[in-house]
Amino acid sequence: MAFARIMGRSRRRLLLLLALAAITLLTLDMRGFGPLETVQGFLRDVLHPVASLAATAASPFGNTWNGIFNYGDLEAENRLLKSEIARIKGEGLKSESERGAFKALLEATGITYVADLDTVAATVVRGQVGNFDSHVVTIDRGRRHGIKSGMAVVTGAGMVGRVDRVDSTTATVQLITDPDLRIGVRVISNDEVGLGSAYGDLFRISSGIEYPNARAGVLLPELGSVVVTAALSRYPPGIPIGRVTEVIVDDVLSTVTVDVEFAVDVSDIGYVSVLLAHGVDQVPLLEVVPATAAPVTDGPDVSSGGGTGS
Amino acid sequence: MIAVRLVVVTLVALILQLTLFIDIRVFGVVPELLALMAVLAGYYLKPERGLLVAFGIGLLWDIYLSTPIGLNAITFALVAFSVATLQEGLFHDTKLQVIGLVAVGSAACVLGYALLGAMVGQSGLVDVNLLRVSAIVAALNALLTPIVALAMRWALRRPEPLGLG
Repeated sequence: MAFARIMGRSRRRLLLLLALAAITLLTLDMRGFGPLETVQGFLRDVLHPVASLAATAASPFGNTWNGIFNYGDLEAENRLLKSEIARIKGEGLKSESERGAFKALLEATGITYVADLDTVAATVVRGQVGNFDSHVVTIDRGRRHGIKSGMAVVTGAGMVGRVDRVDSTTATVQLITDPDLRIGVRVISNDEVGLGSAYGDLFRISSGIEYPNARAGVLLPELGSVVVTAALSRYPPGIPIGRVTEVIVDDVLSTVTVDVEFAVDVSDIGYVSVLLAHGVDQVPLLEVVPATAAPVTDGPDVSSGGGTGS
Repeated sequence: MIAVRLVVVTLVALILQLTLFIDIRVFGVVPELLALMAVLAGYYLKPERGLLVAFGIGLLWDIYLSTPIGLNAITFALVAFSVATLQEGLFHDTKLQVIGLVAVGSAACVLGYALLGAMVGQSGLVDVNLLRVSAIVAALNALLTPIVALAMRWALRRPEPLGLG
């Protein structure tokens, strides 16, 4: 009986110890503790060759499974893609004339267009891992190829996401469908700038779009208007996000919410490009003055205080 | 030697989880092989060892997920501890009991991971689909138990007909 009690006590102590270890790891990881990330990256790098070999070996099984159980979906997707190609062909002809004028305008204003940036092409080697990482994919390019955390990931159609974790030869991409990924955007039709993130199957611009005011010349975004990354976003400007599908005006709160259909379907993506450039890294914050700082007076040395804490 | 075998079996399970069990989904859900191993570690090993092994398996899985490291580790350790305690006091080794224990333990791993994740501020883990996902994981892991139990018994040098075999 006494032995069992002692054993029970030691087990609980061990459990407590492990819980404390886990809490320490969680805290360090959430605070971006460098050495911990390095160790994790090293382990992933070591296992990467084995995992990629195994992926090649396992792909026939996966393909067979998908062939059996998702055949109907594939057929429907094929039909949809054929009609989409026909529509794009028509639009391509229409936009060719507009492109010339757009290039001339960019040259005149000196604005860099996304197409002029260096890119690294990458293949998506792994989709959703486990049952919860539904907004993350892994690509086969990493630190060795010049990729850094925070870079924008695109396809020819538009924004796919941002580079999150970078290892030596692979990187994970946080997809644009992740509600935690907030992006500064510009609505082309009325030139309004706002901040948005994924909301269900759509991208929602929930702040920044001004309430319409005819006198001040503020207009509502047009349905179908293109939405792109804003010049002051964390990503290079001009990357297409999608098209406006709904504009919700709240007359009581005087707010405007804009729903945007994604330009890229990231659910089954195979190839992407990483833009080797950053947008505006951080919006500069005002310097915070500690509460112990000398109180601001109307005296002559007010300006030498280095800020007022606002 | 047991440690080496255990590492080999865990790595094989991890590789399978990262390759085969990305495409093979049932109603959009994949089996959680590493959770299954953690439950079996709690079942086959003494509680202290089961705890440590489950914690290690969880840590390895955490390395590949976008959530902070430590979430699976502590969840797996807690579940393995519960399984070990239950197994000592209540259970006899029959096939059905092991499968039932794996099903309940795996569901607990999924629920625990999501709830703990939400507690530390991870979004998108707790939603209407959580119960559905944990139920399907429980069923899939129960189906895979005979194979994984065989591998675990090989790793732990447990030739006696414990549970499945």
